Amino acid sequence: MTEEVVATAGEGAMEVKPLSPWADTWRRLKKNKLALIGLVIIVIFLLVGGVQEIANLLGPQNASETATAAQRPWWQRGYLAPYDPNGGDFHAGPAGPINPPSMKHLLGTDYLGRDVLSRALVATRISLLVGIIAVGIALAIGLSLGPISGYYGGAVDSVVMRMADIFFAFPYILFVLLIMTVLGPGFRNVFIAIGILSWAGYARLNRGSVLSVKQVEYIEAARAQGASDLRIIFRHVLPNTMAPIYVAIAMGIGGAILTESALSYLGIGMRPPDASWGSMITDYQTYFFAGQWWMLTFPSVALVVTVFGFISFGNGLRDATDPKLKE
Amino acid sequence: MLTYIVRRLFQLIVVIFGVTIITFVIMFLIPGDPAQLLAGKSPTPGKIALIRSELGLDKPLYVQYTRFVNRLAHGDFGTSYQTDRPVSAMLRENIPYTAQLALAAVLLELIGIPLGIYSALRQYTFWDSAYTTTALIVWGIPVFVMGLFLQWLFGLKLNLLPVTGAGDLAFGIFPNSWDSFLHLILPAIAIGLVEVAYISYMQRAAMLEVIRSDYIRTARAKGLSERQVVFKHAFKNAVIPVMTIAGIDLGALMGGAIITEAVFSRPGVGQMIYSSIGARDLPVVAAGVIFSTFVYVIANLIVDLSYAWVDPRIRLEE
Repeated sequence: MTEEVVATAGEGAMEVKPLSPWADTWRRLKKNKLALIGLVIIVIFLLVGGVQEIANLLGPQNASETATAAQRPWWQRGYLAPYDPNGGDFHAGPAGPINPPSMKHLLGTDYLGRDVLSRALVATRISLLVGIIAVGIALAIGLSLGPISGYYGGAVDSVVMRMADIFFAFPYILFVLLIMTVLGPGFRNVFIAIGILSWAGYARLNRGSVLSVKQVEYIEAARAQGASDLRIIFRHVLPNTMAPIYVAIAMGIGGAILTESALSYLGIGMRPPDASWGSMITDYQTYFFAGQWWMLTFPSVALVVTVFGFISFGNGLRDATDPKLKE
Repeated sequence: MLTYIVRRLFQLIVVIFGVTIITFVIMFLIPGDPAQLLAGKSPTPGKIALIRSELGLDKPLYVQYTRFVNRLAHGDFGTSYQTDRPVSAMLRENIPYTAQLALAAVLLELIGIPLGIYSALRQYTFWDSAYTTTALIVWGIPVFVMGLFLQWLFGLKLNLLPVTGAGDLAFGIFPNSWDSFLHLILPAIAIGLVEVAYISYMQRAAMLEVIRSDYIRTARAKGLSERQVVFKHAFKNAVIPVMTIAGIDLGALMGGAIITEAVFSRPGVGQMIYSSIGARDLPVVAAGVIFSTFVYVIANLIVDLSYAWVDPRIRLEE
């Protein structure tokens, strides 16, 4: 960052230091308002989800203890929210359990008198976890197979790419449903299934970049110095093919969050009483049509805004790193 | 072109082989004994053994797999645990409803093409940024959220359109009455609107890329009118890649619009699978996965081949 200031403001037109790729990307990205809004949304999402995950790690590990969570000191409750997300209260407000937004419950309460804001906040953790775990698994597989496939070519390449074809052809949600039919519900299984199914995109994307990078002189130089294939692939080739991957990660996290919410909506994934945004939407849809709009609206807004953040930032990043669009 | 077709057909066979093998492995190797499931609530060991030999579960795995594929090839998807009916008959009943919805949704999403082109031609204007922002927001709306809000607005508040079910069909997949046409509108919009956003965004990007290319600069330099440049020169190259997205969407949706069908309680392949999950009706879920994959792969093949036929750069690439 400081280098950039020096380079652009300090030296004038005579001798402009070339910007590092990161500084250059940032310079182009920050002109794109939508991408910046997306970035802000992502940061807020990471903070809220991260805080909930930390609270969850510090909290009681035994589910039966959480019934009295609200009586514990705040750092041992397993969540950081104004109310216990799973603690019902039939006298939450004057109307009984179901109350519209008020100063006491900013986003209202649901049919068991649970605070909607607290549930939506804690559910952020699920979306964060699915994003990180699913995309993490997909990247680990995709970024090992993709570069190897592109670098070696030939039979290795054919085998990996035909495998990618197979995984590409699976209807995502249906396949997770099949696995869940066999394994039974459980949200961790969903994360893993999403991850295993989505590696092919990363592998294909990276293989393409590796194909174009591996002909470049500095790779030949590394080979001439006697570097091993693995070292060349992971030290020299991979780092230079990452720009499209960062874009794919942003879009992939958005996609994983959408998939998880769809599965939760279908009733697979989260087990009650724990909430994810998708399971809240299923849970509250009848109340929505009965005029109690707040329960369903807020998790929907959280979901849409978060996914928008990732898509918008991802698109901005693509434009900022695309050499074809450089002026 | 011929080598290209052969290569793509070979890929298709590999994919279908892989999909059946993975589905087979998941169905039979992961915990839970299908014979025990089929034997009902209070199975006797004798009954389980009988079902085992009937299903061929006592044979070696490769024999079971060959039987499985052989039956699939004859259109036999097994019998539903839940309804005790052949799954293929259930599929046949549900396919027309899904096909109808898929076709309607894809026709709707083509609106994205003119929207995207219009936006690209007015890049950096207020209209362009307003539209692009809207498209990005809509793109991220899950189909079920869109569906629920459409039901609320057009069903509950405005009382204009039916929100659940589907009418009867005529001539295969067409609505047989005004009423069953009305039933199609909301589900088609729920899928279509999100896809319009996506398609128009892609179309805008494709158009921007084409319009900056050298041959367009040449066309402009020769003094062609802007209309001629856009419609005679840029249009085809910018639209074809986006049309392939619509083609692939059609294939994906034909395989079962599971979420939309669930939201609108519409009959269809997706609904059939959805209602089988609770009962762990494995043959139906597996048939659904295999059917959708087949439809998707074949749609992809058709799209790729027509793409290569229209655009020689594709088939000459490798």
